Amino acid sequence: MANTVIGSSIVIDGEITGDEDLVVQGTVKGKIQLKESLYVEASGVLEADVETQNAEVSGQVTGNVTASDKVELKSNCRMVGDIKAPRILIADGASFKGNVDMDV
Amino acid sequence: MVDTAQSTVVGPSILINGNLQGDEDLLVLGRVEGSINRTKTINIAESGIVKAEITVKNAVVSGVVVGNITASDSVEITEAGRMVGDIRAPRVIIVDGARFRGAVDMGDLEAPRASGPLPQRSADRPALVNSSAPAPQAQKAPAAKAPAPAPMKKAIAPPPPPPAKKAEPVRAPEPTVVMAGAKKLKKKVVVKKKSD
Amino acid sequence: MADTACVIGKGIQIRGNLSGSGDLVVEGRLEGHVALQDHIIVEEGGTVVADVETRELTLNGKMSGNIDANDRVSISSTATVMGDIRAPRVVIEDGARFRGNIEMDVPLPDNI
Repeated sequence: MANTVIGSSIVIDGEITGDEDLVVQGTVKGKIQLKESLYVEASGVLEADVETQNAEVSGQVTGNVTASDKVELKSNCRMVGDIKAPRILIADGASFKGNVDMDV
Repeated sequence: MVDTAQSTVVGPSILINGNLQGDEDLLVLGRVEGSINRTKTINIAESGIVKAEITVKNAVVSGVVVGNITASDSVEITEAGRMVGDIRAPRVIIVDGARFRGAVDMGDLEAPRASGPLPQRSADRPALVNSSAPAPQAQKAPAAKAPAPAPMKKAIAPPPPPPAKKAEPVRAPEPTVVMAGAKKLKKKVVVKKKSD
Repeated sequence: MADTACVIGKGIQIRGNLSGSGDLVVEGRLEGHVALQDHIIVEEGGTVVADVETRELTLNGKMSGNIDANDRVSISSTATVMGDIRAPRVVIEDGARFRGNIEMDVPLPDNI
């Protein structure tokens, strides 16, 4: 399990950077830069541009996501924004609006 | 390091107004106003009130202090202590329950942590507890039995404890009782001790 | 883990405003402004450069900024703290490094 958790009752307005996994159950507005994996859980709300290695979205994301490895949109997630990653998985039931760029 | 035989006691009903300086420990059960310069430890017991600029090596505040404390080693405010003023000391300890308002300056924050002789500090505490705890009783006992105690000794300067005390160095209440008669004696007293 | 509202791990830096309820544990770095209703713990190795409003704050690491706590601030022996503190209860352990003002209510005798 990841070390860092932004709990469901927490709101962060700003910038998060780091080299370990990040779990978002609360709200983050601004910018996220990670060298590891980002998990946006069902209660999580992101209004941020994201640069990461992996992103797994079960909650809401508004913003552009760039991943060096993989972006996974789980069912019941809501994502508005552009995705750029070599591997993109969109599950049945996910809602998504935006561009997909797999760099082909 | 706690040489109780070498300590001055300001009894619970004593008021000293002036400048106190010396080279030995000081236990305040009464009231001191003015300034205090000590090269050793000042203990302000729960009944003690000090309204003074204090310069010492170590200070332990269990009573009331209004004024600034500059200590070359440590300042501790215990759970009963109340202080308004600024503290300058490399080691400052504030215990839960203590009340304090003022600035704290421990000098260079990046300097290596002051570890110091903690044995001395822990040895200080029992001395404080032992000497201040029985004091209220010693203070009450004469007041209850003899409502108007004759002011026997003027108690100008708390005399250095008699040599007999060396035999039982932990018992501080003794001088306390001696001074209990000097009530509301507002006197300007200067206690000076040669440091050799 | 479910009770832990927020953990900022060693490898994480946050710059900005952090608000909400729930406890917060800082092992990484936090800069900006923090307003929380519960308990914040800055662990050894953690750094907070921020003005902090909270109920309770426990400092084991580094902190720079002003603290407004409505219950208690504890500065442990491993902590280095610069800033002003307003709280009903402030505890400083031996070995802690602190510079700043402390403001508590000090009930003084009338005759002082």
